[in-house]
Amino acid sequence: MNDPTKRRGDDWWRHLILWVAIALAVFPPLYVITAAFNADQTLSGTSFLPRSFTLENFKGLFVQKEGGAEVFFVRWFRASIIIALLNAFFTVFIGALSAYAFSRFRFRGRRMGMLFLLLIQMFPGLLNLVAIYLIVLRTGEVVPALGLNKLTALLLVYLSGAMSINLWLMKGFFDSIPTELDESARVDGATPAQIFWGVILPLAVPVLSVVGMFAFVGTLNEFMTASVLLETVDNFTLPLGLQAYISTNFEENWGSFAAGVLIAQIPAIVGFVFVQKYIIAGLTQGSVKG
Amino acid sequence: MTGQATSDRISRSDVSSTYRPSWLARLLSLFSGTGGLIVKIVLLSLLNAMVGWAVIVLFAQDRIVWALGTLAVLGVFDFVYLRPNKLLPAKFILPGSVLLIAYLIVPIFFTINTAFQRYSTSHVLTKAEAISTNIEQNVVQGEKFFLMTPSRDTSGALVLVLVDDTTGQTYLGRESGLEEIDPASIQVDEFGDVVPPAGLTALVGDDLFGADAELAAFEVPLEGGGAIKTEGISGAYDSVPGLEYDLARDVMIATDTGIEYTDNGRGSFVTSSGEELVVGWREYIGFENFTAVVTNPLVRAPFLRAFAWTIAFAASTVLLSFTIGLFLAKLLDKPKFRFKRLYRSLLIVPYAVPGFLSLLVFKGLLNDDYGLINKLLPFDVPWLFDPWWARVSVILVSVWLTTPYFLLVCMGALQAIPGELVEAARVDGAGRWQVFRKVTLPLLLVVVTPLIIASFAYNFNNFNNVFLLTGGGPTSSDQSVAGATDILISYTYKLAFEAGKGQDYGLASAISIYIFFIVAAMSASGFLRSKALENMK
Repeated sequence: MNDPTKRRGDDWWRHLILWVAIALAVFPPLYVITAAFNADQTLSGTSFLPRSFTLENFKGLFVQKEGGAEVFFVRWFRASIIIALLNAFFTVFIGALSAYAFSRFRFRGRRMGMLFLLLIQMFPGLLNLVAIYLIVLRTGEVVPALGLNKLTALLLVYLSGAMSINLWLMKGFFDSIPTELDESARVDGATPAQIFWGVILPLAVPVLSVVGMFAFVGTLNEFMTASVLLETVDNFTLPLGLQAYISTNFEENWGSFAAGVLIAQIPAIVGFVFVQKYIIAGLTQGSVKG
Repeated sequence: MTGQATSDRISRSDVSSTYRPSWLARLLSLFSGTGGLIVKIVLLSLLNAMVGWAVIVLFAQDRIVWALGTLAVLGVFDFVYLRPNKLLPAKFILPGSVLLIAYLIVPIFFTINTAFQRYSTSHVLTKAEAISTNIEQNVVQGEKFFLMTPSRDTSGALVLVLVDDTTGQTYLGRESGLEEIDPASIQVDEFGDVVPPAGLTALVGDDLFGADAELAAFEVPLEGGGAIKTEGISGAYDSVPGLEYDLARDVMIATDTGIEYTDNGRGSFVTSSGEELVVGWREYIGFENFTAVVTNPLVRAPFLRAFAWTIAFAASTVLLSFTIGLFLAKLLDKPKFRFKRLYRSLLIVPYAVPGFLSLLVFKGLLNDDYGLINKLLPFDVPWLFDPWWARVSVILVSVWLTTPYFLLVCMGALQAIPGELVEAARVDGAGRWQVFRKVTLPLLLVVVTPLIIASFAYNFNNFNNVFLLTGGGPTSSDQSVAGATDILISYTYKLAFEAGKGQDYGLASAISIYIFFIVAAMSASGFLRSKALENMK
């Protein structure tokens, strides 16, 4: 029945179903591309097949239309990139520091600590938002830079997740780095800090890239925390900004919105390309010995 | 095995010295040694400077406990990092732990604490603050009325020359307070207008009308509370506090009627007839927020509706996605199938696009009036307008987003099923469907069940899918906070953050804790199940 020598022609129904599924899967992304280049910029004027080609929609994101509302796309984009890069960097840094301690030192509460970190992740961060909002509100009364509507505050809240599942991933990878390397460095007089910077981190670049990548893309996608902590439209990140952009002027802004969606995908794609070669090594090596 | 391979590779490359660290690796190693020490000292100094400043601000604001707490944290930092070769693990764990405690563990305790309080839009203050706010906001008109002549002194500040309507006693009203003056120092000219005493110039004509807004906002504070307020440009009356606080008996008393408002123990002052003062305060109310979900019909109805919909949404999303994903994986799972890789790449496109973008795009596609889908269909569907269609839309879009994940998972799992088992079943005369039902599916489920449970738990709190597509709407018929497509987490979010119908932090926190227990139970069952299934193997 399942004879591989069977004629290919009998598979036509498989291909048919798969093509229907593919059509459904790629239809929305394709539609965004056509809408972004369609000369009719309204939602009602869009069609699946573009009737005319224009770059006006992209221009609308960067240049304020005469008499139109102020455009903040560049600010949103910049805010998102900055906070995603910083979050990725510090998540990797803080996570690697902790993972090194859990991997290389033996101290009281080590096992309990690892388990506790796993447990606490079960309390979904989203549910903490009321408290986080009030904490940030109060902090802002003392240190305005860490208060509401500040990207720094948002970054700190994101960073509280640095010691999460990432830590387990990194610890697993660090465990797979042979301790003989540490030993020989120690014999040569290296301090633990020097071993961390000079031996472990350079060898752990794959897992660091993967964790950084996840943090980067995760930050670019994050909506809920940002929507609670950021208040004015000029301080928004991309998800908040684009959401505000089409919820206020849905009909007219559609073309520019589609163009914005196209641009907003670039950072994540660039990120993926950048760390692609490390993804398999970073994920598997850590998990095997985890 | 892999670990062994790594160590082989590393030691070999070490020995042959062909190991070339990447630029990133060399950059990283710069931080060791003296460079690292300098970085450490600079960072520690910066931290001390910034936190020290914050502590000073805290002291200045009289938040002694917080100031001492912050100082203690700083002390821990300095202690850990300045002791050479001691407390090594702490040096590495501290930065992450502080952030973890500040923004994850403290909030959890805070949430639990808030869940036992009455803490909402009208109950955000402390009791002392609420008492003074109530007194400030409740002023009633007193018995006195004054004829007023607005004037300015030499510095240009507004001074009211006031003549009591009944007693004829005269006063000067300044922003600083009221001063009684001799009636003889004031004269009345031939038009009946008051001429202010020397040093003051009466406002007339355009000056007077120009000062209209300034006059309306002008108040002369009285000793013992209350104030003199202007009425128009030539009159003034005294206003006195409508409420008094009796510290000894802990009651608020209305000054005019003598009605007493007593502390009801739930963050409000109320009269015996149940009338409540507007401004309340935070107060511990035990399990009331938790029981409100069961006992208060206004809370119970939206909660139960959101809860039922959350389960329906998460279950149908996961089951449909898994079924479709498995079906497609089975279609692709055929040796020498043409275009297999191309098909797979195209089918996981929805997974590659950032979720929030897809959701916003679908919001446009499904727009009832202008959306492309309604234009392509021969009939109009109220995708986001009708409550039931909105639910269908949310599920369909979530399935679109989730299916590629299960396609990938199922393709991997199908490949892992040994071919001999299928062959053996075939030899024994089982049909295709029988083989799938009795052999393939059970083996597949062993691998996939924990992932299905995890995905269910994830979708249970899938805020984005609901909020970005429908915003929880359309509004339900009973006008409550929870719309037709609100899942528990978005309902909680709205309770706490959307001010339209009044924020209720206490109730939101209580529901958060319910959600935590539900999710924890699901995660635990998934965990146990995966163990149990592993043992079965």
